[in-house]
Amino acid sequence: MALNTRTEHGHMHDYEGHVEALEADLEYWRTKRLEPQLIQLHRRGVVTLYDLMRAAAGVPAPMAAAGESNSDIDTRIRALEDGLDDYIRNIGVASVEKLDYPFVIEDMRKERGDYDNFFRIAKPPHVGTLEGRVAQLEADLRAYQHLVEVLMRALLDKEVVTTEQIDRQRAFLAGRGAWNGARIVARAWVDTQFKQALLTSGREAVRELNIPPGRLGKLGVAENTTTQHNVVVCTLCSCYPHDLLGDPPWWYRDDGYKECIVRDPRGTLAERFNLHLPHGVDVRVHDSTSDVRWMVLPLRPEGTEGWTEERLARLVTIDSLVGVATALDPAVLAEGER
Amino acid sequence: MSTPTPETSPRFRVGDRVRVQLTNPTGNPRTPVYVRGKSGVVTALHGRIVNPLDHRGAYPPLYSVLFQVRELFGGASHDTLSVDLHEDWLMSY
Repeated sequence: MALNTRTEHGHMHDYEGHVEALEADLEYWRTKRLEPQLIQLHRRGVVTLYDLMRAAAGVPAPMAAAGESNSDIDTRIRALEDGLDDYIRNIGVASVEKLDYPFVIEDMRKERGDYDNFFRIAKPPHVGTLEGRVAQLEADLRAYQHLVEVLMRALLDKEVVTTEQIDRQRAFLAGRGAWNGARIVARAWVDTQFKQALLTSGREAVRELNIPPGRLGKLGVAENTTTQHNVVVCTLCSCYPHDLLGDPPWWYRDDGYKECIVRDPRGTLAERFNLHLPHGVDVRVHDSTSDVRWMVLPLRPEGTEGWTEERLARLVTIDSLVGVATALDPAVLAEGER
Repeated sequence: MSTPTPETSPRFRVGDRVRVQLTNPTGNPRTPVYVRGKSGVVTALHGRIVNPLDHRGAYPPLYSVLFQVRELFGGASHDTLSVDLHEDWLMSY
């Protein structure tokens, strides 16, 4: 899978890559996040399939956007990418903690077949012409979105969650972002004491930056040095300090990445990410088992002496927090500011 | 939230060589298959991590264990893999 296709909304040159990434992501969020949750809710009688049917009566089925199939392929793919973001956001909102129902993430992992293929939810094949696959994605996305909306309605109807909770969850999700990671790194670059605290007790240390410590386990921080480069992966699912750092790069969940990076770390960095490390630098991969969620502390680039924290933070990318890239070259930033 | 309980006395220390059990039906299922039966060196102790949103109950103390990529997958790589493992998965080498 090409890893650099879903970039910012700039010039689109690889339709195939975009569509493939959309298909992979859409199915991931459906089979790994939304539907296992539905099954779990149903099994425990919290929101049953019958509750969903009742709720569906009050949620109109979405229609194809007018002129959808007349637009050019570029526009349609962009609309799908925006729609997918929306879908992902809504799944996050619907995943608000259910009062009085002590679900733990481990249940979901079992439910969706992380440890047993028997429980895996089937994925349909995505084949045919590019045009046909785009039309299929549009239809699927509408149906999948509809289901999230119905679930949200059912959760509210059964008073499993309140509208206040939903609003809070939406605000919480909007507030987290990779910018937190950049701020943490920039502070560590300028403040040795903070860096030591970060390396030994990360979650507590970030409170200094008004970043809430998050809710899960422990934050592991792997410091890059001139002799050691660190990379993060979660081979079993996609553990990442989401609470603190927002979402990892989209390909972090890609099975291809997970398999390659553990078998051939140095080669994978070079071939997939064009990161060529000198031979004096050891490569270490951290595979998260969810009690410790890892991030990488990249090396401070040379030529940044005297920079403010705010400016330094702009050199930190989400790729560098996972360790598949270094922090940006200061010259790149200077170029953008000109 | 993630405070290790002080009364926990870990069985292994930093620098110890340990071997990962092949199976452990009651242990954390999130132990990667590729390290089972393999040996590595303890590089960090994390204590008993309280993580109620992720799993029920408390798992035994957690360690970071360092493996050689070439010992897990063959080849001549000098790269290393650090995996976090709970004590009940580990035995003395």
